Amino acid sequence: MGAGTSQAQAPSVQVGAQAIPVVTETNAVPGGRAFGETRLVQPMVMVRAATGAERLVLQATGDFEGLTIKNGELTPGAWGEGFSDRRHPHTYLHEFMLFAPDILRDLPLPAHLFLGAGKGFVPFGTDDPMSRPTERFPVNHHLSQILERAQAMAGISVGPAKLEGAVFNGDEPQRPDQWPNLSRFGDSWSLRLTLEPMSGLEWEGSRAHVRSPETRDVGGVDASKWSTALRWDRPVLGRPVYAMLEWSQTQDVGAFTLRSVLFETQVSAGAHHPYFRIERTDRPEDERNPDPFRDQRPIIENSVLGLTRWTIGTLGYLVDAGRVWKIDWRPFTEASLIGIEKVGGGLFDPARFYGAERHWSVTTGVRLSWGMAAHRMGRYERMTGGEMVMPMESR
Amino acid sequence: MRRPWRMLLAVALVPSCHTDHATAPPPPSGDSTKVVLAADVPIPPYYGMHDSFIRNGVAFICAWDSGVFIYDVGNGMKGGTPTAPVLISSIVTSQDSVTAGPSVHNAWWFWNPVTRQQKYLFVGQEGPAVGGIGVGSSGDIHVVDVSDLTHPVEVGQFHLPGAGTHNFWMDEQHQILYAAYYNGGVVSIDVSGTLAGDTLSDRLISEVYPGGGPGNTYTWGVQLYNGSLYAIDMLSGLWQLSADSAGHLAVVGGGNNVSNHYSSDLGVAGGYAYTGTWDWSRRTGKQGSVVSTWALNGSGAPTLVDTIPINQVSAISDVKVSPDGKLLMFGTEGGGNSGFYFYSLANPAHPAYVDKYLVATGIHTTKFAAINGHLYAFGAKDPSGPALIILDVTVLDQ
Repeated sequence: MGAGTSQAQAPSVQVGAQAIPVVTETNAVPGGRAFGETRLVQPMVMVRAATGAERLVLQATGDFEGLTIKNGELTPGAWGEGFSDRRHPHTYLHEFMLFAPDILRDLPLPAHLFLGAGKGFVPFGTDDPMSRPTERFPVNHHLSQILERAQAMAGISVGPAKLEGAVFNGDEPQRPDQWPNLSRFGDSWSLRLTLEPMSGLEWEGSRAHVRSPETRDVGGVDASKWSTALRWDRPVLGRPVYAMLEWSQTQDVGAFTLRSVLFETQVSAGAHHPYFRIERTDRPEDERNPDPFRDQRPIIENSVLGLTRWTIGTLGYLVDAGRVWKIDWRPFTEASLIGIEKVGGGLFDPARFYGAERHWSVTTGVRLSWGMAAHRMGRYERMTGGEMVMPMESR
Repeated sequence: MRRPWRMLLAVALVPSCHTDHATAPPPPSGDSTKVVLAADVPIPPYYGMHDSFIRNGVAFICAWDSGVFIYDVGNGMKGGTPTAPVLISSIVTSQDSVTAGPSVHNAWWFWNPVTRQQKYLFVGQEGPAVGGIGVGSSGDIHVVDVSDLTHPVEVGQFHLPGAGTHNFWMDEQHQILYAAYYNGGVVSIDVSGTLAGDTLSDRLISEVYPGGGPGNTYTWGVQLYNGSLYAIDMLSGLWQLSADSAGHLAVVGGGNNVSNHYSSDLGVAGGYAYTGTWDWSRRTGKQGSVVSTWALNGSGAPTLVDTIPINQVSAISDVKVSPDGKLLMFGTEGGGNSGFYFYSLANPAHPAYVDKYLVATGIHTTKFAAINGHLYAFGAKDPSGPALIILDVTVLDQ
């Protein structure tokens, strides 16, 4: 067992774990009253097992949010998988990908070919919010990432360019113990082109078509998705700087179009990591069942009551507090100002539903981690040792 | 105006602004004690069953992307009964220009008294609500030749640019199909003669916008009664339209009369109209849903006379009156009191509770059918586990 991530000649197994106890208070909830709660979020166990020289790698992540946040995490603007204003718990088997990171490694070719299959992150869009600086998920999670799908993927990299593609099942999970609907495997696809002209500077452009994501047995509208992003992760004036600017769009075909622009950055100074995120994202407002935080599922015919536009600015600060009992402790606090606007002429009126159009939110917690460093989830390729790590990780 | 006079005027105006109608008590708790479950027929979950149309012992089950299932439920051609429906055939209508698939929503089997043909089945396709519910819509009317019920064949479509179809009613004698078209209001279509191809758009007779158009028109359903066409609009309430024998439409009464809720379906009989509310989005702070009773005066204009509150539901999604006019039925969904509800119309101005049959996932649409001396209620059970539910409600219809 080791903490390194470079190619090992011998078979290797790396294990890591993390969890984040948080206290969140916000008034961006139905009715507009101040509302707070304490939860344990993102409790995960990660395993990376590789054959000698990493010819074959198993990357698996267990996520236990189904136990700790069965009713979701209080997160203004979050939506998807039947939740609104609460971020849904992920499935217990969050990721289980078997991949060959560099099939052409023994050939004198400038190209690197990688293949993978299993359940995991589809090559589309930007990094999963779990592995970025801000603890609370952005509103655009379901516009900018596609995850927890049964997929077969392939990629090729030549010099600074990398092209990845995948076919997968379109259906989103509806509960933590649910498997992808394997009868739908291959009904959706994605492509992602990445360019890295210099170490630490990366551009990606992605395209995907997802069949009926919100209706598991088909019968819903398809999602036609686009994403492009610039990512910076290298020192400036001797200090580690991470920044990411992304634009994404999801067209629920024939119904409406959702767009998002997001910028986030973190500037580190020793153990201190201040960070900032601002986003403007459109959100569909679904029919809610008697629980105001839950949408009607399964969907019955049309269910979108209108669109809202969420503008959220978040300022946060994280500090490396050290290692105790082999656990890294990183306390943080983050505060957000939130604006909610009605877009178009739908029935949903955010001012009436939330009691106002301006809101706030504060979250305080501790990132606890043990063992292997968090990897860039959804990157099923060779690791050179010089690739970007996650900005939330200590350097 | 000085303050005391303003206060006096305000006090004097309050009674005139108050709508004077009765409010019935909510139905009692507990489940059915009288109706009998005749059949529970699973429907494929794509997304499931949406609506039904029953005539002469044949049930047309509208099953979204699975198409139309045609069952013998007492006709005799396949030996089916309401307790043991037998599938005759099925057809998946074309996706046409709609992006979400066939989305088979509702149907009407047209018995043409002029040609004496029972040839055409009109199928409504509910596509995505463009921009959201209350804003836009999509979906066409598909024409299926069912002259041979064992081999249905789609023969044509009707497309209305910028809007999608919802519920139908027919003036069969004059061979006119009336269709609610959400943001497209209400249309009348000439369905005489032979129907074929995609040229049915040439058969549009008339189009009106109850509520006046964008922002106040999103029409759910229509019903022809006593020379008037009644239209229920989600945004602007219950309207009376004139509809002549040639299908020309005009707004003549009602409207802008439901302000606390969004409206849903309607049923009209015996000089009264009964309407439901759709509360998946709360128009005001009011919880639950409401069934309203409207007296139709000498000219046919509606006046609210009674309301029935139904708590712990998100919509009254269908409202129907039995063929003999004795029983009111409505379906509810989205809450702990979801299911079928039955009210006596012994006094049609003030329906009286008689029974209910709760279904946890909800009942989206309901239809009555008189078959072999019994009265049955057909319901579309919402997913998970979508199904056709058939209840024998004869005992309630006394």
